[in-house]
Amino acid sequence: MKAKFLLSVLFSLFAIAAWSQTRNITGRVLADSSREALQGITVSLKGSRTTVQTDAKGNFAMTVPDKGAVLVFTSVGYNRQEVSVGSRSSVEVTMTTVSTTLTDVVVVGYRTVQRRDLSASVASVSARDLKDIPVNSAAEALNGRLAGVTATTAEGSPDAQVRIRVRGGMSITGDNSPLYIIDGVPVDNALSTISPQDIQTIDVLKDAAATAIYGSRGANGVIIITTKSGRPGKPVITLNAFYGWKKLAKELDVMTPYDYVFYQSERSRGSSTDSNTFVTNFGPFDKIDQYRTVNPVNWQNEVFGNTGHQTTENLTVSGGSNKFTYNFGYTFNKDKAVVINSDYVRNLVNVKGEYKFTSFIKLGVSARYAIQDVRGAGVSSESGSAYNRLRNAVKYRPFLSGNADIEDQDPLADPNVGNNLTLTNPILLANAEYRKKSTENKNGTATLTINITKKLTFRSVFGYDRNQVIDRQFSDSLSNLSIIQGSRKPVAGLDTTQRSIFTNSNVLIYNLKGIKKKHDLDFMIGEETLDTRIETHRNLFRNYANGTGASEAFHNTDKGESFAGYPRFQEVRSTMLSFFGHAGYAYRDKYLVNVNFRADGSSKFAPDRRWGYFPSASVAWRINKEKFLKEARFINDLKLRFGFGKMGNNRIDDYQYQTIYSNNGQYYYGINGNPVYATYPVYLANEGLQWESTVNRNVGLDFTFGKNRYNLSVDYYYNTSDNLLLVRTLDPSFGYSGQQQNIGETSNEGVEIQLGAQLVRNRAFTWNANFNISFNKNTVRALAPGQNQFFPAASWGVSGQPTDYLVRVGEPVGSMYGLVTDGFYTTNDFNYDPATRIYTLKPGVVNSGGVTGISQPGSVKFKDLNGDGKIDLDNDRKIIGNPNPKFTGGLNQQFTYKNWDASIFVNFSVGNDVYNANKIEFTNGYANNANMLAMMADRWKVVLPNGQTAQWVETRTIGGTAQQVVVGVTPDELSRLNANATIWQPLKGTGAFYPHSWAIEDGSFLRLNNLTIGYSVPLQTKVIKRLRFYFTGNNLAIITNYTGYDPEVSVRNNGLTPGLDYSAYPKSRSYLFGLNATF
Amino acid sequence: MKAKFSPKLLLVSTAFIGLGLASCKKFLDQTPITELSTETVFNDVPGAYNALIATYSRLVGDNGYGIRLSMYYTVDNDEMQGPTGNVGTSDNDRRDIARYQATAGNAQLVGPYSQLFQGIEYANQCIDNIPSMAVYTSGTDQQKAQLRRMYGEALTLRAQFYFEAIRNWGDLPARFTSSKNDITQNSNPTRVNRDTLYNRIIADLLIAEDLVPWRNELTTIGDAPNERITKGTVKGIRARIALARGGYSLRQNGQMERSADYLAFYQIARDETNDIILSGQHSLNASYRDLWKNQVGARVSTDPNGELMFQASGIGLSGAEDTKLGYYNGPTVNGFGNRALNILPTYFYQFDPLDLRRDVTIAPYNVNADGITKIGQAITAMNDGKYRRDWITPAIAATSQAQYFSLKWQILRYSDVLLMFAEAENEINNGPTAAAYEAVNRVRRRGFGKPINTPDVTVDLTPGLGKLPFFDALVKERSLELGGEGVRKFDLIRWNLLATKITATKTALDLMSKAQAPYNNLPARMYYRNGATADDATIWANSFYTTSPASAPAGSTSVNWVVLPTGSTPVNAIGTTALARYALGFTPGRSELLPIPQAARDANPALTQNPGYN
Repeated sequence: MKAKFLLSVLFSLFAIAAWSQTRNITGRVLADSSREALQGITVSLKGSRTTVQTDAKGNFAMTVPDKGAVLVFTSVGYNRQEVSVGSRSSVEVTMTTVSTTLTDVVVVGYRTVQRRDLSASVASVSARDLKDIPVNSAAEALNGRLAGVTATTAEGSPDAQVRIRVRGGMSITGDNSPLYIIDGVPVDNALSTISPQDIQTIDVLKDAAATAIYGSRGANGVIIITTKSGRPGKPVITLNAFYGWKKLAKELDVMTPYDYVFYQSERSRGSSTDSNTFVTNFGPFDKIDQYRTVNPVNWQNEVFGNTGHQTTENLTVSGGSNKFTYNFGYTFNKDKAVVINSDYVRNLVNVKGEYKFTSFIKLGVSARYAIQDVRGAGVSSESGSAYNRLRNAVKYRPFLSGNADIEDQDPLADPNVGNNLTLTNPILLANAEYRKKSTENKNGTATLTINITKKLTFRSVFGYDRNQVIDRQFSDSLSNLSIIQGSRKPVAGLDTTQRSIFTNSNVLIYNLKGIKKKHDLDFMIGEETLDTRIETHRNLFRNYANGTGASEAFHNTDKGESFAGYPRFQEVRSTMLSFFGHAGYAYRDKYLVNVNFRADGSSKFAPDRRWGYFPSASVAWRINKEKFLKEARFINDLKLRFGFGKMGNNRIDDYQYQTIYSNNGQYYYGINGNPVYATYPVYLANEGLQWESTVNRNVGLDFTFGKNRYNLSVDYYYNTSDNLLLVRTLDPSFGYSGQQQNIGETSNEGVEIQLGAQLVRNRAFTWNANFNISFNKNTVRALAPGQNQFFPAASWGVSGQPTDYLVRVGEPVGSMYGLVTDGFYTTNDFNYDPATRIYTLKPGVVNSGGVTGISQPGSVKFKDLNGDGKIDLDNDRKIIGNPNPKFTGGLNQQFTYKNWDASIFVNFSVGNDVYNANKIEFTNGYANNANMLAMMADRWKVVLPNGQTAQWVETRTIGGTAQQVVVGVTPDELSRLNANATIWQPLKGTGAFYPHSWAIEDGSFLRLNNLTIGYSVPLQTKVIKRLRFYFTGNNLAIITNYTGYDPEVSVRNNGLTPGLDYSAYPKSRSYLFGLNATF
Repeated sequence: MKAKFSPKLLLVSTAFIGLGLASCKKFLDQTPITELSTETVFNDVPGAYNALIATYSRLVGDNGYGIRLSMYYTVDNDEMQGPTGNVGTSDNDRRDIARYQATAGNAQLVGPYSQLFQGIEYANQCIDNIPSMAVYTSGTDQQKAQLRRMYGEALTLRAQFYFEAIRNWGDLPARFTSSKNDITQNSNPTRVNRDTLYNRIIADLLIAEDLVPWRNELTTIGDAPNERITKGTVKGIRARIALARGGYSLRQNGQMERSADYLAFYQIARDETNDIILSGQHSLNASYRDLWKNQVGARVSTDPNGELMFQASGIGLSGAEDTKLGYYNGPTVNGFGNRALNILPTYFYQFDPLDLRRDVTIAPYNVNADGITKIGQAITAMNDGKYRRDWITPAIAATSQAQYFSLKWQILRYSDVLLMFAEAENEINNGPTAAAYEAVNRVRRRGFGKPINTPDVTVDLTPGLGKLPFFDALVKERSLELGGEGVRKFDLIRWNLLATKITATKTALDLMSKAQAPYNNLPARMYYRNGATADDATIWANSFYTTSPASAPAGSTSVNWVVLPTGSTPVNAIGTTALARYALGFTPGRSELLPIPQAARDANPALTQNPGYN
């Protein structure tokens, strides 16, 4: 069936192959300003595949048809030019530097298209945008620059996950990351394996009109990266280097030693044991003033206060001849982060070449090798509060005891505190936890292009991508892993993951331009295979002798013993086979129609559910070509676009439709004192699994005006997904926590505006500005049948921690959920009995005691949502925050003045909430002798200045039963003591970790993300062609009401619990000095 | 236009089409590489054995009998109470469960609930597949016998998981075949009456009895004696479940009820226990102390008497498949341990001073950093003693902060079989038979260190008791014999005595907190000998049963016992520490069951909630 279809297309192609007569011409290309010869300008014959490039003197030669030849001159950084050859035998062309992006070539679905001809929504970043941003990750460079593209960095560590989302995420629990394609080959997680300096352009395809040709894999947008290629001519050597410093951008203020000791005294009241211990630890209360002069230790500064250094050297050599072009790049990054014991080293080699065998056969090869080492445990962990480290730098005792050294463990840090929330000297801890993650990436691509006829091109692309991650983790006896799982002896983990992907695509492209000067047609058909294999090996060893070093532990694993259930090994393979086709038609360059169709077959589904069919169509109307706008000279281009398409998603674990059993060691049972490994069903198979599908609707307007100086793109989209591949939470009686099913619906609706302007353009001074803003609204439309909501947990805090996120129909994914804060109780809320000195809550006042411990003056109060007079978790929680911004965007401005250039980039996000979980933990009194944030110095106090306890809880027998009561001095005296209190008493029980609305903060911000000033040395030597020095500051300033380290944070690597700020690696501010040189 | 033939085109297009279609079908058929298919697993005896082990593994770990089922869900009863702290407030966790204050959102409910059903599903996989294996019918005699045993074990494990789930949650969805079959029928199953579920598992166990050999017959089928289930286990579990089926339970209408035909189930219990007794396969260890210290503490897998009939065998030193016995409960060593279960002072005084079981069941001490010497504990801080870290052989170093010791939770002991027999006999015959007397007396004689099979008037039950007095004696005897073994709360529920006993215990604690009769002649302070190394009452320098000496005995340290209250403190620590938290939220008609976990009801809106929890 499919074969027949392909054959018939091929036969029709034979029938319309054409012939013509030709002649030779020569030409020269110059720059308009300097009249310099321009090398490497692409000269192509319109309507054919004939392309040459100018040599070092700007010359070219070409065979053109006898009549009607039109040459197209293109190059990055210059405006496209079309020149009619007429009867001339030589032409001279001057190129003007680019002022708009209108004529850029955009890679769309196995083809390239000029931006002005796009009928789809595409946003791009090019090398000239990247050059101002000396960053080490291309993902960072995308942040805030493109409408509809968000790049959220999880935290501030050098290897932090950057979550890229195109127009929000469609899936609820599935992977919403876009498809990355480097030079035509799909590459997983591409942005971290490529140096920004090697990138020519990044095109982000946003709507189905463009992405549908990628079928299932394009549902979350497609990011297409084209790397730099060589141009014919002498070798051009470019050196980009920068060196920088970085500092922690913000610290959290903690209480002073005096306030700390005062609180410890307060905390000890009510228990004679604790009060005696306080005196032993800190001396009598009347001597407490001595702590006003004690030297504080700023642990945040000790741990994160280092000056980080970062250096990057990037060397590229490119050049070639008419037959062969090459580009070689080497990049070295080293980043010593602000956190002690952490650094990052990366070496990247990138080789790309293209060889023309004959006039019609061309072979392009590229290879990349990247090796990256990240050292340091960082500060966050998904494994629960005990494993997170930031807390130690904030809560640890703020001064040294007696003659203790800064690297001595505080003897007062409670080793038996609940939930293993021991405080450990943060310096010791950083030394106790060794982590090294080595990633090696090998990637090879071969592209064979055969111009079968002038109009018919065959292209075959082979890609191989191999990624190996070795994760070494060593936890010495001080670390929580060792304490909790290793009986206080060193624990070592050694995990290896290897992923290899083999791809091959073959396409036939047929172009038929200018039929009767009215009709342009193009066709493409293609086929693609994808083969992914993943191997994981996991080892975990325990019981090393204390004192064993990390390196020794990794090399002599026999000195430890394997944890039960280890080693584990798993290997999986998945394959995909696709067929696709494209047809485009343009009438008088005025009406453009594009139709795509793709069929994907995936091994992840049962044979009868395997194939998904994904059609799309788009229409564009170039309005300015209509007669009624002919007189409107200020309009250079005005185009209205409509796109509609269906896409799919198959990103689920392999084999989910088959029942499979594993004996990987996860389950075992003790028989005669030894573990016997169990064979268990891995999941509940679902034979009916099929493709998730997304329908994408897009209306867009592209408007270029004012002599091409201004361009505006506006897009509205409405995307709906159904049959979501969702792990449905099952009734536990099925014996599995969930099952992969096709259930639920979501929608994303939004508007994107991108505005570019060349505000000033004269010989001495230019000023370009680029502004974008995006609005997106995500809504869960449906969940499983009968299901209205479920509660994901961010997994921090203590045992008994309520879930803190909600997915509910009608709300966006990832709503924050919790109690509603209502200030704190005052003496007015209580009746006071002067005889017994007991405070009793007045009738009618809501009792928060169920979650906070007995309600007393100064204890935190919550809103009673169900009106039953008491606070309980089951009935008094609601949605308290929405992590999704109302809008996000950025403004980039570039200036040149003579030899100076400058750029300033700000980005913003408005209306998103951040869940500041740090604040909850850092203001509670859960652990003994732990410090708190400085704001807690203004808490409700229960100790009078003379040291007398003003308010306490004790057990009394009333009416025959023992019960807790609040006892205290008179309300007048208590109110006087707390006249200036701004916050409640710290909570000490498990309720101290419960999420409540006070911790949900507005995360809106405006960030001065990047400021660069550069100077190009005006020299015209033979050796150095260009030399530019620059200075850059990254993350220089931020305007936000957010009280945590940074509002751009989301530490959990899943889409269900976004916007959580818990123990994130604090962001730093960096200053860089660099140079660009071309030889 | 003229068509131009192009060999290049033909070549390329042929290759292109060939590439795409030749291996299309095969290319997309991917099967697991490191995982196994159902056919592979249930192909031979070792494959089936490993699938059965998966079922066994669901007994242990933090969500199984490692800590939650064994220690969170079994208190407060009239023997022990749950952890201190957080009085008057909710911890949404284990304290709320112990104090009968748990709500549906309690964090410690869904894990065990899920793991029990995971066990049921894993058992279902074995039950669905083992009997249809080719080897099951056409293998060698040994293969067939081994597979029959596994099939029977799977049925027994499923019954045990269900029983545990029902006694905690009442009516539940029915899961008697692999979920893969069920979920396509109905993904939101409703709860099925527990009597129906009980009837099914009681019937299943009858099938299992014929499949599983006695412990002394294992060698004949080529199996070694170890922690796996034998015929005695099947019968004993069947008896226990039958008694639960024939007992009271909290129904959806909020009433404690039992079905009219309950005697039929007592008959089953009587017959099964009688079979076990007559089989001669199991007997009591002569020493109650040795049983716990030298067998349980030494983590042996078999015992010569076969008294340990069913144990959850934790291993691996982590929360996945081990137990926290000896860490969460029992005396601490060098300060390590949670000592989260406290013996009620009133339970301590239930024991006869000569009853040797007292100092096994109760350990009123902690162990010093030297790992040997003991620190006596106040009456409100006594630990349970059957799972003691300081009894573990080989010894755990005092410096070790390990939290998992691979102690095995004892699910069924032979003495329970004897007591169940006596109870069933008494109920069916409207009074005790001689055999019933003999069964209880064997337990009592062993408890007092007497020869088990020799009648002894000093410890034997008073002869000639009527049905009710004999039953009352059993109610007490079960507590003395099985204290701290997770049996009591569920015994009291099936007898419909939980509310009564909790009220009685509260009254008793109140009296003791005021040092009033019958607690008016107890020592105000107990003195433990400094440097004492014993693990029983001999660490104390004075008697538990008379007032304290006028002055401290030489070389001793005092701890508070039943301190005489003064005017300023009208109650002692028994009131402010033990009674203040004991069964605080107990409400008859609600607290006999746990709430169905909110997470389960969120996932399946068809699940109703238990009475009193909405």
